[in-house]
Amino acid sequence: MNNQREDSKKHSSTKDTSINQSYLHLIQIHDSAFPSGNFAHSFGMETYIQEDDIRNEADLKVFCEMYLRHNFASGDAIIAKEAYRLTKERDLEGLIKLENICHAVKLSPETREGSMMMGRQFSRTIEPLIDDEFMSVWLKKFRNKEVKNHYSVVYGIYTALIDVSPKMSLETFLYSSITALVLNAVRAVPVGQMSGVKTVHAMLPIIEEVAEDVMDYGLDDLDNNSIALEISSMRHEFLNSRLFIS
Amino acid sequence: MTLRKSPSNRPSHYGQLSLNFEKRRNKTIIENYYQLPPLRASRALHMNPKNPAEATVYMVETAGGLVAGDQNKFDINLAEDTSVCLIPQSATKMYPSFNGMWSTQNIDVSIASNATLAWKTEAVIPFETAKFKGKTIINMAKDATLLWGEILAPGRTTRGEIFAYEDVRTNFQVWLEDECLIYDALSFKPEETDLVQLGLLEEHLYVGSLWFVSPNAHEIDIKKLNEELQEIKEVQVGAALLEEKAVNLRWLASDLVLLKQEMDKVWEVLSNFIIEKK
Repeated sequence: MNNQREDSKKHSSTKDTSINQSYLHLIQIHDSAFPSGNFAHSFGMETYIQEDDIRNEADLKVFCEMYLRHNFASGDAIIAKEAYRLTKERDLEGLIKLENICHAVKLSPETREGSMMMGRQFSRTIEPLIDDEFMSVWLKKFRNKEVKNHYSVVYGIYTALIDVSPKMSLETFLYSSITALVLNAVRAVPVGQMSGVKTVHAMLPIIEEVAEDVMDYGLDDLDNNSIALEISSMRHEFLNSRLFIS
Repeated sequence: MTLRKSPSNRPSHYGQLSLNFEKRRNKTIIENYYQLPPLRASRALHMNPKNPAEATVYMVETAGGLVAGDQNKFDINLAEDTSVCLIPQSATKMYPSFNGMWSTQNIDVSIASNATLAWKTEAVIPFETAKFKGKTIINMAKDATLLWGEILAPGRTTRGEIFAYEDVRTNFQVWLEDECLIYDALSFKPEETDLVQLGLLEEHLYVGSLWFVSPNAHEIDIKKLNEELQEIKEVQVGAALLEEKAVNLRWLASDLVLLKQEMDKVWEVLSNFIIEKK
C-alpha cells in the first residue's frame, strides 16, 4: 500500500506484505463499520418493496441478479473500472469527462444525489488514510465544485491508488453494492437475516461473472435496459413513507 | 433469368438533411438547407397560433424506412432567438438486417442562445431481425429550450411481431455548453435478454421518453405532474426534475395509442413553459 500515509507505510517493507495490506484494507473499507454511506439508499428497490414485488428471499434474489446484470454491469461498474484505468494513466481530464457522463447517465434525481452523497462520505473517510498527490488534486477539485465526486468514480480512483488489481477493484465494488442492497432489504422486507446471507452468497458467482465481462467493456458499453427500475427510482421521491433516501 | 436483384447487391442509402434556421423580421426562417434522398423537408410553415414566429417543418423519409446498411444523418442548427418545431411525418422503420449490417441514424443539433426546438414524438419501429444504432447529440446554450419526444416500439405488433428484432441501441445526449445534462443510452437484445423480467420492461411493450430542457424547468410542479400521471393504471410512468434544468419523463406501455395520448397531454403541459420569442 505504497500510497498510504507514513504510519501505514512503515509496515509494508516487502511486496507480499503490501499486497496483503491492500487486501486487508479492502476488507476494512467494505466492513459495515466503515462509514461509506451505502446503507441509506435503496436505489429504487423500496418502491418495489412497497408495491409488494419483493416479498421473500426468492424475490430478493431475482431483484439482486437483475440489478447486477442489467444495472451495475452496464453502468456504475463500467464507470468504476474506467476511473481505475484513467487513474493508473494519471489522466485527470479523462476522469473529469468520465464523471460528467456518470452524472448525466443517472436519470433519477435521487439516484444522482445518492451516488454523490456516497462519494462524499467515502472520500471523507478515506482522505485521512491516503497521502497521494493525484487524490489530493481530485478532492481539491471536488471542494472547488469542479467535479461531483460520484461514488463509482472515487472508488475507482482510490482502489487504483492503493494498488489492488483492477479485477479485485471491480469485484469488491459489485460485492459492496449488492451487500448494501441486501442489508437494506432485510431491514425493509419481512425476510430474515439468514435469507440475506443466502442471497449474498447466491450472488457471488454472478458478481464474478459480471466483473469478468465488465473487464472488457469501455464507455461505449454504458447503456440501460432496466427501464422499470429507472421509473421506480424516479417515483421513489413521491412515495408516502420512505425508509431510504433513494 | 431473374428480374429481382439479390438483396446483398442493393446499394445502401445515405440520407442527409441539414437545416439552418435564422430569425428574420420576427419570424424564424430556413436560412439554408441541404437534402439528400431519401430525406426531405417541407418549407417552413408559420402555423402555431400560440407562437406565430415559430417555423414548423415536416421531415419526410421517402424510402419508407432504413434497410440494413442504410444511414440517415440530420444536422439541425438554430441561431439565436429562433423557434422551431420539427415534425417527423411518420415512424422510423427499420427493415430486417438480411446482411447482418446495422442501420444507423445520427442526429446532431445545436441550439443557440434563447432559441427553442420542439421535436415531435414519433416511434422507431424495428422489424424482425433488424439491427439499429441511433445517436442524437444536442448541444445547447444554457438559456435555450428543448422539447423532445420519442417512442421505441417492439416491432410490427399488428403482424404479431413483438421483440423479434436483433439489436437496437440508441444514445441520446444533451449538453448544456460543457455540462452533460442527459446521457440516455438504451440497448435491447431480445434474444439474449429476457425483457419481461422484473426491472426491465416487465409486461410492457413500448418505451416512451420525453425531455424538456429549459431555463423555466424549475417552475414545473413535478410532484403534481407525477400525481396526475399515475392516474392511468395501464402505463407505468415516472417524471423527474433534473438539476432544476430539465424534466424527464419515461413511460412503459403496451398500448401505443394510449401512450401517444399520454405523451401528447404532457407535451401540451410542458409547451406552456416555453417562453414566446418576441
